[in-house]
Amino acid sequence: MAEIEFTIDPATGQLEVHVKGMRGPACQDVAKLVEALVGKPAVDRNTSEYFLKPRVHPQIQPKRSQ
Amino acid sequence: MSKYLSFRDVVFKDRRLLLAALADLGYTVVEEGQALPLFGYQGDRRPETAEIVIRRNFVGAASNDLGLARTDQGYVPIISEYDLRVLHGGHFLPKLRTAYSEHVIEEVRKRLHGTTRRTVEGTVVKIKVRF
Repeated sequence: MAEIEFTIDPATGQLEVHVKGMRGPACQDVAKLVEALVGKPAVDRNTSEYFLKPRVHPQIQPKRSQ
Repeated sequence: MSKYLSFRDVVFKDRRLLLAALADLGYTVVEEGQALPLFGYQGDRRPETAEIVIRRNFVGAASNDLGLARTDQGYVPIISEYDLRVLHGGHFLPKLRTAYSEHVIEEVRKRLHGTTRRTVEGTVVKIKVRF
């Protein structure tokens, strides 16, 4: 399950956002949604998970003997 | 984690969420229009204009009009130095930003059909949206 963690500092009103559990550029859509409501962030950093490629396990069928 | 964003500018992108945040702070009577004039506490017209205005009689006895001017980045506050110092104990802008962020989070939750969990850690509030 993906998660967005919002951190608000009530003393300054500053907002920080961590998008978690999403690999690859899929999290860009979530970031765009937040940016559409909040504006351009002062800091925009992709973290290590962003660069992980989704794992795909090819299904190989065993050859049938004739 | 896959992405980190930090928002530092005092700018309010969404008009509807901004009006909701103003209402949270008690400002329910607002004027909306194009380049509305702003007046000081003595009724003097100020050089600035704004698209969202809270008239001074709804702000405080010695206050000036509060304005929010639309820019390409969003709505930016136009507030006198006096009001910045006295409104909400000098915390008007942090409170408005906090209220606005709370509405942003609720909007994100709705659009992603998610659930929220709120915790307070020290002096900061953490709200997690799972989807």
